Amino acid sequence: MVSLLPRPRPMRKLDERLEFASTGRSVLAKVFPDHWSFMMGEIALYSFVFLVASGIYLTLFFEPSSAMEVYHGHYRPLEGQEVSAAYASSVRLSWDVRGGLLVRQAHHWAAHLFIGSIVLHLCRIFLTGAFRRPRELNWTIGVTMLILGIFNAYAGYSLPDDLLSGTGLRIFNSVAASVPVVGSWLSFLVFDGEFPGQEIIQRLYVLHVLLVPALLAVLITAHLAILIRQKHTHFPGPGRRPSNVVGSRVWPAYALRSLSLLAAVFAAVLLAGGLLQINPVWAWGDFDPATITAPSVADWYILWIEGALRLFPPVEFHVFGLLVPNQFWPGVVLPGLIFGGLYLWPWLDRRWTGDRETHHLTGSPRESPLRVAFASAMLTFLAVLLVAGSEELLVQWTGWTVAAVRNVLRVLVFVLPVVAGLLGWWLAESLRRSGLGHAIELGGKDLLAGLPRRRRADS
Amino acid sequence: MSRPERAPRSVVAAFLLSALGAAGFAASYVLGLGNEALGGCLGGSFAFLALGLARWSSLIDAGEPDYVEERSVGPTPQGQYDAFRRALTEQPVPRSRVLWGALGTAVAAIGGAALFPLRSLLPAMGTDPDDVLAHTPWRAGDRLVTEEGTPVRPSDLEVGGTVTVFPEGLDPREHVDTTTVLVRVDPADLRLPAGRAGWVVDGVVAYSKLCTHAGCPVGLYTDTSRQLMCPCHHSVFDVTDGARPVEGPAPHALPQLPLATDGSGYLVARGDFSGPVGPGWGNH
Amino acid sequence: MTERPGHSRTRARLLCAAAVLLAAAVLALTGVRSTATTTQASSGAAAADPGDGREVFLRDCAWCHGTDGSGTHNGPALTDVGAEAADFYLRTGRMPLDSPDQDVRSGPPAYDDATISALVAYVGSLGNGPGIPALAAGDAAAGRKLFLENCAACHSSSGTGTIVSGGQPAPELWHTGKRQVAEAMRVGPGPMPPFDEKQLDPQQVDDIVAYVHQLGSPQDPGGAGLDQYGPIVEGAVALLVLLPCLVVVIRLLGRRAPERSSSESEEDR
Repeated sequence: MVSLLPRPRPMRKLDERLEFASTGRSVLAKVFPDHWSFMMGEIALYSFVFLVASGIYLTLFFEPSSAMEVYHGHYRPLEGQEVSAAYASSVRLSWDVRGGLLVRQAHHWAAHLFIGSIVLHLCRIFLTGAFRRPRELNWTIGVTMLILGIFNAYAGYSLPDDLLSGTGLRIFNSVAASVPVVGSWLSFLVFDGEFPGQEIIQRLYVLHVLLVPALLAVLITAHLAILIRQKHTHFPGPGRRPSNVVGSRVWPAYALRSLSLLAAVFAAVLLAGGLLQINPVWAWGDFDPATITAPSVADWYILWIEGALRLFPPVEFHVFGLLVPNQFWPGVVLPGLIFGGLYLWPWLDRRWTGDRETHHLTGSPRESPLRVAFASAMLTFLAVLLVAGSEELLVQWTGWTVAAVRNVLRVLVFVLPVVAGLLGWWLAESLRRSGLGHAIELGGKDLLAGLPRRRRADS
Repeated sequence: MSRPERAPRSVVAAFLLSALGAAGFAASYVLGLGNEALGGCLGGSFAFLALGLARWSSLIDAGEPDYVEERSVGPTPQGQYDAFRRALTEQPVPRSRVLWGALGTAVAAIGGAALFPLRSLLPAMGTDPDDVLAHTPWRAGDRLVTEEGTPVRPSDLEVGGTVTVFPEGLDPREHVDTTTVLVRVDPADLRLPAGRAGWVVDGVVAYSKLCTHAGCPVGLYTDTSRQLMCPCHHSVFDVTDGARPVEGPAPHALPQLPLATDGSGYLVARGDFSGPVGPGWGNH
Repeated sequence: MTERPGHSRTRARLLCAAAVLLAAAVLALTGVRSTATTTQASSGAAAADPGDGREVFLRDCAWCHGTDGSGTHNGPALTDVGAEAADFYLRTGRMPLDSPDQDVRSGPPAYDDATISALVAYVGSLGNGPGIPALAAGDAAAGRKLFLENCAACHSSSGTGTIVSGGQPAPELWHTGKRQVAEAMRVGPGPMPPFDEKQLDPQQVDDIVAYVHQLGSPQDPGGAGLDQYGPIVEGAVALLVLLPCLVVVIRLLGRRAPERSSSESEEDR
């Protein structure tokens, strides 16, 4: 074996002080199962690393203040105009700080990647049953990180105080105010009074730069510590038992692969940040609460809530004399149900499948048609909501009226998830019974075998 | 395992290209070559680094078997767990329940007290959010002015035209709830709710610009259908019928501002809006 | 030693898939809203009758607007619209229509320059409508503020355009000539509200025109502009290009699941 590190002397000196050699040896020899789907969480981890690194750079130039100032810089249409310091510093970052635009854009693309890879990772954990005992705690931590990540991304793109994100803050304000009994106090608490106030940018900044990243760092550490303590799950195969872990050693094979992924994530966000423009705040304009641009939409991880707000009918009623505002249902109740359901899933799964065993071997998705059905239905539901959030594009493509598109989507949002859930169940059941490797290999007979009525024949 | 004589060429090449990319980034910075060059060079540099590391790891992998490590599956054996519990709960001090209870009370009290300074996040004492949200600063006699501060006469708008106005003398940014949209329509087309005939001047009607769904400014005016549309969630309001919502999720009409003209012919308000502006809130 | 049969084939397939994905994404994005601006088939050929706009009018316009421009049940009167409106509608290709039910959309003009000038002069002569606006240099910074207040809600602050109630488009402004922008503001074509001189004086119109004009020139310092459409397109790129690329990367870096053996289950508890 080629020596990977040619200079042992400094390390020996360190060992004289810290005595890490034997612990180090067992750490280096730890075995990690190395299925490719296990690396999705690492994409999220390395995106977070990039977000922190690029974020630190951005904090050196961004001014989190609503105080007005006059912009002077390379962006001519804003020259001499009075805008908020937050907005002016964002435009300066983009036009007057060399390399600033690259860091800003790469930071935003990395946020998309962070949340997207968390969702993918969640799907893998869900479909393979890796949330089951003893990993319920890590599942809970993971769902919490998803919520925090979404919030932080929303706070982040609201910081530049531009017209597009400012409108999003208005919607957030209205949704907060819609909570029965305490809504008006809640919105006044967050915004220091009526919308927009002078404080929200500053408050979002503290959350976005300090509190939430610190919380995420603690949760990531806990998540990884639990993972190391319990050891990773692995798929069944030759020599693989619940009482062992089979895979590559951490050093050198796994570490090099992981470092390669780190470099690949950095490459992806930097290439995107360099070649694909994102969130051109100078073009959106500074925030003016009496003005608006269109399409007025949020980034995709919030857009599903916007889609729900668009599709929900104009229903409003009173309960015990108090108003339950319209935006409460799609804005608060729906996300509450979805995230609440995610938190509860390990216990719901236990209840519905009766499976209370400890699992270190995870199965492929087909082994739980119930989970495949749920995942298909939920993802389809969210996809239809995302489409509802993109109504403008649909109208431009089809030439239909907004009302027509809206009504079609109102039907699809119920029908398609049910269909997708049933199809998912059928596919998983067929694959499970047939024992084939790939869905593509399924024949007519296998598909028939997967249908529910056939099950009675082979009780 | 065989020991190769030289470093694998593909890996070295990848790393050298990565270095070249980094140099390219530095050069792009110095020469001011723009965002694409900066991102392309640095991104490319990391991409080659990733390729080199991947190739290196695959070369190592090729010679590696699957390693096996044992894992403990169950909980701690009962005896050891009992010992842990004893170590945790052993207490030489009598009446420890009382002590723990008192400690708990102290901690809970400190925690509760620590929440009080959060009140400072809310505006000063004496502001009831429900009161503030229920009214706007519009008063009878307030002139309507544009965002630039110019007062408006009905004839300043063509039929089919629209403009956003505020009360004279107030900073629009500090009183967003006063934002009003004026639309001029043909008076013959108006079918306003009862009692509002006097709220119109020469076909000019005034409504709150804040959507009753989620508060976005209702900025799109279509003069062929005389409808105001909100771009956030596509609620549509009929301007000739008291801004009643005709489609979309908005649950009630935009409040209307009663108009009159002053001595010089400029538009003035005759009072506050017909109802609270913006979306409904939880305590209303 | 772990056997990995067909590994290099799988890898090659994956790389090809990645390349196809990227290429498809790039192609799709460059035409991301290509169906938005429909082009209009021109009825009358560009063959002109430059000397007399009246002949072209009688041939192509009178059947909807009347032989003397006083209107029919198919189209409005043109007696007081003036050269301003005629210039706008003809130069942006909105007129002539093939049939009265056809949607009024922008597109390439149906006539050449000389014919349009003649037609515009003729329509202007039908009554006392406004003439073609004279433009002067404007201040884009002042125009930016006015544009955001009056125009951005329908045309988008980046000028990329969107839809208004009923589904009609508020078109993108990057390819509209300066004079046509000014004319549109005064005329208020279709669903657009008009802005007359008392609402926006000529200097303000010049300022807005200057701002709209610089919107059209390339000002995407961040890379491919993605039509400056906003989060919908950016999110689609993130979910359909960026994330899948990294999935391909981990698929290449990691391994596949081991081959299943028939008695594989939870032994050894």
